[in-house]
Amino acid sequence: MIQPLSGIQNTAAALDAERTRLDVISENIANANTTHGIDGKPYQRKVVVFQSALQQAMGGDNANATPTLRVARIENDKRPPVQVYEPGNPDADARGMVSMPNINIHEEMADLISASRAFEANLAVVKNEKSMAMQTLAIGKH
Amino acid sequence: MSSYGMMPNTDMVRPAATPGVDAPMPLDQPKEVTPGQGAGESFGNVLGKFVSDVNTKQNVAMEAVDGLQSGQGVPLHQAVIAMEEANVSFQLMVEVRNKLLDSYQELMRMQV
Amino acid sequence: MIEALFNEPAYLAAKKTLDAVAVRQEAIASNIANLETPGYKRVDLAPSFRAELDHACASGDPQQLAALKPTLATDTTAVANSQDGNTVSLENEMMQLNQNVMTHTLETQMVSSLLFRLKMAITGKSS
Repeated sequence: MIQPLSGIQNTAAALDAERTRLDVISENIANANTTHGIDGKPYQRKVVVFQSALQQAMGGDNANATPTLRVARIENDKRPPVQVYEPGNPDADARGMVSMPNINIHEEMADLISASRAFEANLAVVKNEKSMAMQTLAIGKH
Repeated sequence: MSSYGMMPNTDMVRPAATPGVDAPMPLDQPKEVTPGQGAGESFGNVLGKFVSDVNTKQNVAMEAVDGLQSGQGVPLHQAVIAMEEANVSFQLMVEVRNKLLDSYQELMRMQV
Repeated sequence: MIEALFNEPAYLAAKKTLDAVAVRQEAIASNIANLETPGYKRVDLAPSFRAELDHACASGDPQQLAALKPTLATDTTAVANSQDGNTVSLENEMMQLNQNVMTHTLETQMVSSLLFRLKMAITGKSS
């Protein structure tokens, strides 16, 4: 397989992983007030667990092998739901308490910014790599 | 596979260049008249070496392109530069051939 | 014989620098890709390459220049600025990335201009 852009696989893998992270964050924000999920329980915050995998550089040059970013798994946050007094809510228990998902919007927003910055940085790498390849192809053409 | 693709090019040029190589024959004669100057390589040999050097250049370029295409980790710039070097070498060879042919024809037109 | 056309030390050095730029680009791409990888240590072009290139340039020996090979090495000077031991700083990498692109532009133009000069000398035409 022709590889005009060397080392782009790592970037692609990272873009993939960051994309998953962005999806999970938006899912968390969207479900910040879901008290009754598919299983009847309040929504549980999800966290992406990253993992590094060693990817062999193309051409079997082991000296230049660099690790890539991968999403290992998506786990539930271990924090318990918050109890909110809301007697009118259909999901309220006998004491009028409702279990709300333990989602802190500010935390999610901070995470969202850092994920999208990482995503943009990887995109910049792809863009620069492409412009460098175009320059290389223009060698000797005037 | 593609390295063979370049072979006919030089083979094609070689017979065409032969009049150019043969042309110095009359030029060799003055050499015999004044011995002591013929210590160097013959002009034909020099030309032959030149052509085979250009051929090597083409093969190196084709190897680099093959390496790039088969994903053997040849960087893009190395393949492009090798191709351009082969190009320049080939251009030089063609120009030299043209000049030699021109001078041969000029000699043939000369009124004795 | 034809190799003599392409044995100019500045040209060989430009080609080697392009090799180094390619390796460096791979390093930066890897660093940015692993921005969030716990315990990742940033990699870069082996620091000895610059000195080796200078040395080979000073000697002016084409063979010595051609034998140079840039490699990747872990950057031991970088310090972790987060708890997970990751030593990549995004701002630093973006700066290096831009610098690398500029170096690449410079070196491709140098290589290009030598080839262009050769072509001009051979054909006697300026295009």
